[in-house]
Amino acid sequence: MVVKSLDELKSGEKGKIVRVRGKGSVHRRIIDMGVVTGTEVEMQRVAPLGDPIEIKVKGYCLTLRKEEASNIYVEVS
Amino acid sequence: MAKEITVALAGNPNSGKTTVFNNLTKARQHVGNWPGVTVEKKVGSCSHDGYNISVVDLPGVYSLTAYSLDEVIARDFIVDEKPDVVVDIVDASNLERNLYLAVQLLEMGVKLIIALNMMDMAESRKYQIDVKEMSRLIGVPVVPLVANRNKGTSELLQTMVDVAEGKVEVLGLRLDYGREVERELAKLEQIINGNPLARRYSPRWLAIKLLEEDEEIIKKFKEVKGGQRTSATR
Repeated sequence: MVVKSLDELKSGEKGKIVRVRGKGSVHRRIIDMGVVTGTEVEMQRVAPLGDPIEIKVKGYCLTLRKEEASNIYVEVS
Repeated sequence: MAKEITVALAGNPNSGKTTVFNNLTKARQHVGNWPGVTVEKKVGSCSHDGYNISVVDLPGVYSLTAYSLDEVIARDFIVDEKPDVVVDIVDASNLERNLYLAVQLLEMGVKLIIALNMMDMAESRKYQIDVKEMSRLIGVPVVPLVANRNKGTSELLQTMVDVAEGKVEVLGLRLDYGREVERELAKLEQIINGNPLARRYSPRWLAIKLLEEDEEIIKKFKEVKGGQRTSATR
């Protein structure tokens, strides 16, 4: 089983969130949006310059900065 | 004389709150198909079944933390103005994310109605929602709507009146956070019960917010006389 940070996923790659690092308001907002341990995510697409990225989580698409995504760890399936 | 009730419309951005508001009040608020259209609360009124109903359209929020202005406006209104009924407008085609706010509203101890909007969208995505079972599980009335075709509005009005009158009971669900968290919540609740804030807010909600280190709530405790002791939770 490979664990990668979310920003390292290629589009179409899926996995399960194993850890969400960070603190403060951005961390809280990310959790509020359903990005929590145990949740399935799928990388949708990456902007032309590599930032931001769009993921699919809990049935909807969420756009994250690359830096925010780098704090989210995913067990790639 | 007609009886007065206040109903607040809450919900995620772009879940159709303003459309529901317009259906209820026959107002013509601008409705845009993008999130963040309502940044301030708007008030309208309507009457139904011998009631004058003030309808307050709150900004769309995903959560009720105190991090953004929209969330603070929505939360303060619910907490301080204590509307008789809160209607959470939920996008039926995106239940899982939307119900997070519903849980937060229930923890605040409000009389909640869930309005399942965009039922047509949910159906076109082949979702089958058992409205009765959902209502039983969450412990609140659930009213299906297709707001942009004005379907379900009269049922929603009737449910609002029924809840305000106490004809329909809102039990609410109590989310179990597991043994460790529950133990700390119970301790905090016991301390909070002796605090004047407990008369205005649900003690369990205050306890949860303290564990989350919610700055607004910590501030409230510090403002209350004798609150220093209870705010030192860590």
